[in-house]
Amino acid sequence: MKEPLVHGGGALLSIANLTVSLPERQRTITGSGDLTLVEGLSLDIRPGERLALVGESGSGKSLTARSILQLDPALKLEGSITWKGCELLGASRRVLQKVRGAEISMIFQDPMTALNPVLTIGEQVAEPLLVRGVPRRKAYARAVEMLDRLGVPKAKERMRAYPGQFSGGMRQRVVMAAALVAQPQLLIADEPTTALDVRVQEQVLDLLEEQSRELNLAVLFITHDLAIVAGLAQRVAVMFRGRLVEEKPVDELFDHPDHPYTQGLIGSIPRIDLDPDTRLTTVEDYLVLQGGAHHE
Amino acid sequence: MKSETAGAPSAKLADAPSAISAAVSAASIGGAAARLGRRLFGRRTAGVDRMAFGLVALLTIAAVVGPFVTPYDPFAVETSEALRPPSAAHLLGTDDVGRDVLSRLLAGAGLTLLSAAAIVVLAAAVGIVVASVAALLPRRADEAIMRACDIFMSIPSLVLALGLAAALGPSMLSIIVAMVAASWPSTARLMRGILRETMSSSYVESARILGMSRPRLMLRHVLPNSLDAIYVQASMEISGTIVMISGLAFLGVGAPPPSPDWGSMIAEGQQYTTTAWWISLFPGLAISLGAIAFGLVGDAVRSFVDPSSRRSS
Amino acid sequence: MYKFVLRRLGFAALSLWGVATIVFVISKLIPGDVARVAAGRLATADQVAHMREVLGLNDPLFLQYTGYISRLVQGNLGTSTITRQSVMGDLGAVLPTTIQLVLLGMFITVLIAAPVGIAAAVSEGKAADVAARIVLVTSGGVPVFWLAIMMRWILGSVLGWFPISGTNSVDGGPPTVTGFTVLDSLLFGTIGNLADSVFHLILPALALSAPFVSTLARLIRSNMMTALKADYITFAISKGVPRRRVILRHAFRSALGSVLTVFGMQFGWMISAAVLVEAVFGLPGIGSYLYRAIINQDTFSVLASVVVIGFVFIATSFIVDLLQMAIDPRVRHAQLGAA
Repeated sequence: MKEPLVHGGGALLSIANLTVSLPERQRTITGSGDLTLVEGLSLDIRPGERLALVGESGSGKSLTARSILQLDPALKLEGSITWKGCELLGASRRVLQKVRGAEISMIFQDPMTALNPVLTIGEQVAEPLLVRGVPRRKAYARAVEMLDRLGVPKAKERMRAYPGQFSGGMRQRVVMAAALVAQPQLLIADEPTTALDVRVQEQVLDLLEEQSRELNLAVLFITHDLAIVAGLAQRVAVMFRGRLVEEKPVDELFDHPDHPYTQGLIGSIPRIDLDPDTRLTTVEDYLVLQGGAHHE
Repeated sequence: MKSETAGAPSAKLADAPSAISAAVSAASIGGAAARLGRRLFGRRTAGVDRMAFGLVALLTIAAVVGPFVTPYDPFAVETSEALRPPSAAHLLGTDDVGRDVLSRLLAGAGLTLLSAAAIVVLAAAVGIVVASVAALLPRRADEAIMRACDIFMSIPSLVLALGLAAALGPSMLSIIVAMVAASWPSTARLMRGILRETMSSSYVESARILGMSRPRLMLRHVLPNSLDAIYVQASMEISGTIVMISGLAFLGVGAPPPSPDWGSMIAEGQQYTTTAWWISLFPGLAISLGAIAFGLVGDAVRSFVDPSSRRSS
Repeated sequence: MYKFVLRRLGFAALSLWGVATIVFVISKLIPGDVARVAAGRLATADQVAHMREVLGLNDPLFLQYTGYISRLVQGNLGTSTITRQSVMGDLGAVLPTTIQLVLLGMFITVLIAAPVGIAAAVSEGKAADVAARIVLVTSGGVPVFWLAIMMRWILGSVLGWFPISGTNSVDGGPPTVTGFTVLDSLLFGTIGNLADSVFHLILPALALSAPFVSTLARLIRSNMMTALKADYITFAISKGVPRRRVILRHAFRSALGSVLTVFGMQFGWMISAAVLVEAVFGLPGIGSYLYRAIINQDTFSVLASVVVIGFVFIATSFIVDLLQMAIDPRVRHAQLGAA
């Protein structure tokens, strides 16, 4: 709490007072009025910074991430999202296309479904360059380079392979290569390790951190798992029921969590230095302790 | 709400006493009909669906009472009245030998719909029997039967039916026999898929573990619980069958000449289109409306049974 | 790979045998004196007796069957009681007309079904989608021969836009070399011949394609709708891929799988629908041949045509399966994995 974050100045991406809602006519479950999913969220990311956005499923963290690139046309977005001083909300499709993939790119939870099964790995990795007019030969050479860099063995030969021939971990590397090939300055990683098994998870996380350092790449890391945040992020923002409840450097958050929800989250991480008989706390414990901590 | 419980598989497993499977399937039919009725006349039914059901009801009524309310004798040749355009006397005009087109259309409705229904029901019956037998046999035999169906299906069904009907001689019966022979393999194949799916469900699995014999399992659990999918299939088949029998009749393998079959009426009128368009226009419209209405009803039945398919048809 | 092709080839051969056997069984179902039917209505008692000898009806059933199969293998389909010619020769002469009609019909089908299906899927639930569905449901329910008659009447007779029958105008088509009038015009005829040949085919091909456009467009629509909701589409958008490319390259390519299968099967269905359309437009193809054979109760020619159509259908589905394996990596891996 010593150094308040300056919103706007120096930030790469600045989200101010973002509200995401589902318009009434899109609602499938009975109910009236727009359904508010994210409310009044403000968040800054500086160049090269690794920020984790943490929250349970349904807390709105994924929606916030997807809203930056406006990937859900059915949703109503209000507030402001500025990228290097340029407003993205309400920007033309053309501007968005320019930003997507080349300045801000994104990787997703399930690498098994994020790649098109009928297109070659090569085409999908080189695509962000191809659609920007980079000649095929050059784009493919860069794609091979990127796959190599991310540790895909025999990258050159595998350019002609199809996603069906890759394991989950390899596919996530391919997805990352496609996201990074056009040298974006911000990578949004939406639970990129949730669908992977533990050993592969670790590899992908290491890779993410390594790339972030080497390329001075800012990373917005979305996860429900506070345990994996510690090693990766510099700063953590916690979301609960559509609102940002806490935002701090990572050490401070673990040492002095303010919000009861965060305290619950931290208490629920299994730790090796505790007596094995100690019951792990749940978020509910803290919310109950705090009485009226429930929003609304 | 009794109909609701009849449709629920778990309830069926728990309380089905030693009642014969026919009773179970009757209850299931009743349940399905009741649910269908609720959907049909409930608030959320699409206008198109209602129209289609209305049209099907209309056609069915025409098929039943049609032959008794014809304004003229559908077979009476009246050469002085030949090729009359639609008028107050002859609402849909007269054909080349002076027969009233509307009367023939009404007289033929039953012929078309009944034979289409007979074909679909018979093909489904043969298909279900073959599929159930295949499901009970060892895997090798099962596969061989399905392969045989594939081979049957490698002759386009219209052509197979055409050959068979031509061999049997022109009559409505040979069309029915030929169409059933041509369409049971695809029905059997679909049924086999449906049965396999039902067989892999956990309530069937648990009945098996309880020691029920395979034929009994098939009759008591698998077949009754596959009925919904079977209705859907059958209702989807009717539309295509109507079009196909009219095609066979058009080619001359259907009921012989004086018959007021819609397909043959089109064939008789086709050389008069420039002078007497009404002879082949109206029977064709009747077939089209029938086929479209039954097609929409099939869609509605499917989306009612399987809501996930509602938006993707 | 070769293993798969061999297996598929084996099944094709099995199907050919199956089709031949089915038709043999049908020929045994003919009521009454088969020799009488085979010899034709006007045959004398001597001719009938001769026919009985030729067909080997006095032989045991098994010998009749093996004789029939061995004749079939040699390409002998028997003799027509009407034209007194070899059925094989007759069919060889009419098949090109049917094939070129079906090919044009398939071309028109894709030309209409693909854009309509894609447009409907992209505008799911909107007015364009609803309109497309209504048109597709309608064109799927209208009997093809009736549509052909109506088109011949309105577009041909009343409006005079298209010729109403035949493959060429009276002043003569191209020289007959391959039997494919379009190909013959292209190779040996004039530009006028070519235009004339294609022009005569357009109306029949349009009528023929109507029900197939309906099936194919609806399939494309529903496949596209599934594909457009996939995660890889979102990922492609997040990579900055323009909408056009997202739809045509990403979604359409992956929607193609079962579309190709159905499209291949449509070749066979279209041949049977062509039987009806040819009869209406007087095109001298296998349909008109069949039609005439039915009218003249030339049952054995009908059955021979059934065999030939079955064979063509088996050959096409074989080719389609190979094509699909070449095009769709999902199928390739599944098949090679199984083989």
